[in-house]
Amino acid sequence: MLKFIVLAQVLIAILYLGKWGLFVTLGLSIALVIIYLWITKNSLKKNYSKLKWEEMPWLYDAVAKMSYRAGISMPNIYILDDYIPNAYSFRNSLVLSLGLFEVLSENEILGVAAHEIGHIKNGDTILFPMVAYGRYLMLFLVAVTSLFSHHKFAIFVSLILYVLYEIERVNFFKKREFRADETALYLLDRPFNLKDALEELKYYEDLRITVKESALPGIEPNIERKQKKSFMTTHPSYDERILRILVEIEAVELLDNLK
Amino acid sequence: MEPHEFKLNAEGLKAVLPPLEAEIMEYMWKVKVATAGEVYEQLKKNHKDLRRSTVSILMNRLCERGLLERSVETGRGGMRYVYSITTTREDFEKKIVESILNALMSNFKEATFAYLSKIKK
Repeated sequence: MLKFIVLAQVLIAILYLGKWGLFVTLGLSIALVIIYLWITKNSLKKNYSKLKWEEMPWLYDAVAKMSYRAGISMPNIYILDDYIPNAYSFRNSLVLSLGLFEVLSENEILGVAAHEIGHIKNGDTILFPMVAYGRYLMLFLVAVTSLFSHHKFAIFVSLILYVLYEIERVNFFKKREFRADETALYLLDRPFNLKDALEELKYYEDLRITVKESALPGIEPNIERKQKKSFMTTHPSYDERILRILVEIEAVELLDNLK
Repeated sequence: MEPHEFKLNAEGLKAVLPPLEAEIMEYMWKVKVATAGEVYEQLKKNHKDLRRSTVSILMNRLCERGLLERSVETGRGGMRYVYSITTTREDFEKKIVESILNALMSNFKEATFAYLSKIKK
């Protein structure tokens, strides 16, 4: 769906701006690719260190095993110097922050790593930057069309397409997160590792916000934060993910029992 | 670290720090350097429901308060954070007394001075 929206936006630009619209689209696309490559190349210079087998054999071996199961080559594992628990993947690499090692057990860290391998296997490390940078392309084309086409219809359609892109982008990211979770369940020896990790990370985030928001420096770990709903959030909530994981595990167990 | 509040009915460090942070500092002053995992294991003896996340958040909060500092250590178990104390317990207590007395002297100078003189006698 997203590619059709982008295609329609490009067509509007070409139809109403002619050759100039085509050059702008091509030029901006090339510029965005260069910016992406530059950012991914330079963002790894500080605060990251590449994990060696002898540093954490349990993690290295488990990632190798899960990558084999996923049918991908062994990813690079980077450790990020950040006390906030965080994990993400890019190209054929996964990044785990030091904060994760402080709050999660080894099994739970493997759950997080499996989710990131799921992203790599599903091609999200290529798709996500394209969709994220596609947003800038869309925004730029809306601006160019609005400023230079002088056609109310073109401006209107261009704006509608941008809004559609934003809605579809949010849905796309959410779907891919669920899919990465689903993939992770098949990669893990113990599928509940991912659920346990998400529960702990949810607890961490809730507690951190409670501590931050509290006027007094005390904490009340049992206070549950009310979920702030935002329709533009690209990540599904922990609760949604945990629920889906439980449903998936139940479904697999049921199917196994029926066999 | 400058204390911003003093709980009159709390005991010891808990008068200026939240209870769990006070317990963490008590332990840290004993061992001087520790990981969040080690502190968690120690505190868990008295707090059965304690979670690693709570200890991690509170230790990083103590870093923000300037009572602990965090550094990366690379050892046999890979990279990890280690926390160390920035001040001794004695210096910390001295600073609290100084801050409180300074506040009392600037807000209630005569009463504080009279009371201190009375104690001295």
